Amino acid sequence: MINRIIGWVDQRFPITAIIKHEATEYPVAPNLNYWWNFGSLAGVVLVLQIVTGIFLAMHYKADVTLAFDSIQHIMRSVNYGWLIRYIHATGASAFFAVIYIHISRTLYYGSYRGPRELLWWTGLLLLLLVMGAAFMGYLLPWGQMSFWGAQVITNLFGAIPLVGGHIVVLLRGDFSVGDPTLTRFFALHYLIPFIIAGAVVIHLVALHTVKSSNPSGLPIADKDNIPFHPYYTSKDLFGVGVFLIIFCSFVFFVPDAFIEPDNNIPANPMQTPPHIVPEWYFLPFYAILRSIPDKLLGVVGMGLGIVILAALPYLDRSKIPGGSRYRPIFKALFFVFIADAFVLGYVGAHPPEGPMVLIGRIATVIYFGYIVSMPFVSKWEESWLRKRGLPAPVQKYLDEQAAGGTK
Amino acid sequence: MSDSKSLDSPDRRNFLEMATGAVGAAGVAAAAWPFVQSMNPSSDVLAKGITEADLAPIPLGESHTVAWQGKPVFIVHRKPEVAAAMQASPGGKDPEPDQKRAKKPEWLVVVGVCTHLGCVPSRTEEGWLCPCHGSVYDNSGRIIQGPAPANLEVPLYHFVGNDKIVIGEA
Amino acid sequence: MKKYLLGIALCFATVGAWANEAKLPKIELPTSPEALQRGAETVATVCLSCHNLKYIKYSDLSGLGFSKEKLGALSVGHGLDDSLMSPMSAEATKQAFGITPPDLSMMAKARVGGPHYVYAFVTGFYTNDKGKTDNHVFPGAKMPDVLGAASAKGEERTAIEYKAKEVAAFLEWAGDPKAQERRGLGRYVIAYLIVLTILLYLVKLRTWARLKEHHKRKHT
Repeated sequence: MINRIIGWVDQRFPITAIIKHEATEYPVAPNLNYWWNFGSLAGVVLVLQIVTGIFLAMHYKADVTLAFDSIQHIMRSVNYGWLIRYIHATGASAFFAVIYIHISRTLYYGSYRGPRELLWWTGLLLLLLVMGAAFMGYLLPWGQMSFWGAQVITNLFGAIPLVGGHIVVLLRGDFSVGDPTLTRFFALHYLIPFIIAGAVVIHLVALHTVKSSNPSGLPIADKDNIPFHPYYTSKDLFGVGVFLIIFCSFVFFVPDAFIEPDNNIPANPMQTPPHIVPEWYFLPFYAILRSIPDKLLGVVGMGLGIVILAALPYLDRSKIPGGSRYRPIFKALFFVFIADAFVLGYVGAHPPEGPMVLIGRIATVIYFGYIVSMPFVSKWEESWLRKRGLPAPVQKYLDEQAAGGTK
Repeated sequence: MSDSKSLDSPDRRNFLEMATGAVGAAGVAAAAWPFVQSMNPSSDVLAKGITEADLAPIPLGESHTVAWQGKPVFIVHRKPEVAAAMQASPGGKDPEPDQKRAKKPEWLVVVGVCTHLGCVPSRTEEGWLCPCHGSVYDNSGRIIQGPAPANLEVPLYHFVGNDKIVIGEA
Repeated sequence: MKKYLLGIALCFATVGAWANEAKLPKIELPTSPEALQRGAETVATVCLSCHNLKYIKYSDLSGLGFSKEKLGALSVGHGLDDSLMSPMSAEATKQAFGITPPDLSMMAKARVGGPHYVYAFVTGFYTNDKGKTDNHVFPGAKMPDVLGAASAKGEERTAIEYKAKEVAAFLEWAGDPKAQERRGLGRYVIAYLIVLTILLYLVKLRTWARLKEHHKRKHT
């Protein structure tokens, strides 16, 4: 019976072919470690956010006089409203944690390198979309941090020469963040996740075209690949289980870990809280913004902090394949970069006083230095490694490449 | 690529996988519960499930309408002869003695929502007439003619003293 | 990669560290229903003169285990469905103090330190060298020293401190009345997830073991 139904569908829609192509016969390298779990994990969090978001939207009111109260209504009166809201609020942080680990893995193993440029770019686009959704969503509770965060970030556009002021008013629909801003942020916050879902499909199509990279950085012969299902479905699901244990520990036992106390005070446009901080996932970029002592350049620097990553596939000029596996300097610099991101995060969380200013500036220089020096460092590292003698698998790969090139 | 068929034939699905699948499915079903529940009335809506109505201002022979859970409730102060006539009549196609519908013969309390498709019937001398599809109810709220299948609903209510009722709890 | 994990752990540690920047004395909050009820009574009779708790209804207090009679006495003059609102209007309090006293339903959530802040504030009044009453936690506070903390000594001080703890505990409840339900449910959820994750791990092990067998067979 089931076979007949599947047969009926297959004549009209290639369901079996799709499952075969994307899962049961989709070839994956057999040596992926657990750092490769975070892509599918990000997908799980996206679904979690969309589902909880839809249910929250059934009770939330996007009106400056009602928004704060409606959140309290969700927390206190709606059945399990507290659970759904805490999942959504914690989910935002979880989303970034997962995405940042996913990106770090890409950097560590050089997964962004050709032929995966488009995969890398769609990933960065996804990061920007998620940031946009998170920023707009953060306004909705209409607390003090919501309000002043939106006020400050929309003001960034005021740095644009000539038309900046007009753009700020256009974004807000008001001269300050107000009711029109809240309503449009809600509309866009509901829309963007579906755009993200679409972009995820593009990301996956690109992935399934070029296939996953692997820790060695060397291509895997087709005969050695293994099917995605059941090997990586079982591995990914185990990862989801571990993730859910950590995630639910936050949701049920420390749900306020990611909610600033000030955001439990209704927005007051007449009074800025003494110490405004963005959510942790924006801190490194916020630190870059503050470290550059010029409004326009600061905004440009912050934007470049993400956009410049798109150039990495072309900046990395080493012929040694992959990332850290066979490249000790590349690996060392990766850890410098990650440590630097944490330093920037720490600086971003503290008032720009005393040593914080200098530390922030040094960290900003290191952040961009990592990227800008990549072409030189990668070339120099390659020649140094060649002088020392390459490991056999790498030499074999390079010889094959050279032979293929002369054909 | 390694041959997937020999490695993963359906008959090698074992007890462990079935059990894991069952535990996982149970978890997903349980996780759906809070979401479904969140769509049910919230505690502040439920708190509004009770309406107190003062009977003193309703003159003999008149009907007042109060809101209960967002629905109209008709409170009729019936004249003795009307009440007696109702007690004598068995009702129409959904027969029910008036004694079971009215806690006190002079007071009839019914939900003013036609049992056909939910319109609010309008008051007539003989009872009610639904403006939508012409269902006719008598002075006990019982269906006499028209498409409505059942009598007007009697809500849960109880008397507090002689001239006050609480609708929504027995 | 272990260093990397350490880095993530450090990140969470810093998040935790800056949440508790203000150095407040950590007090042990009373948890018994009686203490919470006394806290509620203090809030309803003292704080409510000027402050509101607009997200708390009198009927919500039954969640603290109040008997019907006690709840009736506490809510005298109000319906059970009414919020805990001050008899003073916002304008009247503004005239009296120069500011509108903040709503207290979220007070234990809206300050760094939560209930510890509440406790430190209401017991933090003292007489400064100009002979005026001030507050250690919130210098220049407009609120009067309602518990009389500034002048109290010895046993009297201990009684006030205990009262302040009850108030802090009650306000913590008021900020998050579902906390107990949440933790209770959380235990089951985590227990379930651990079982599920162990099962998923076993499935994963078995699946990958098949792959290794297959390879062995191929190579022999």
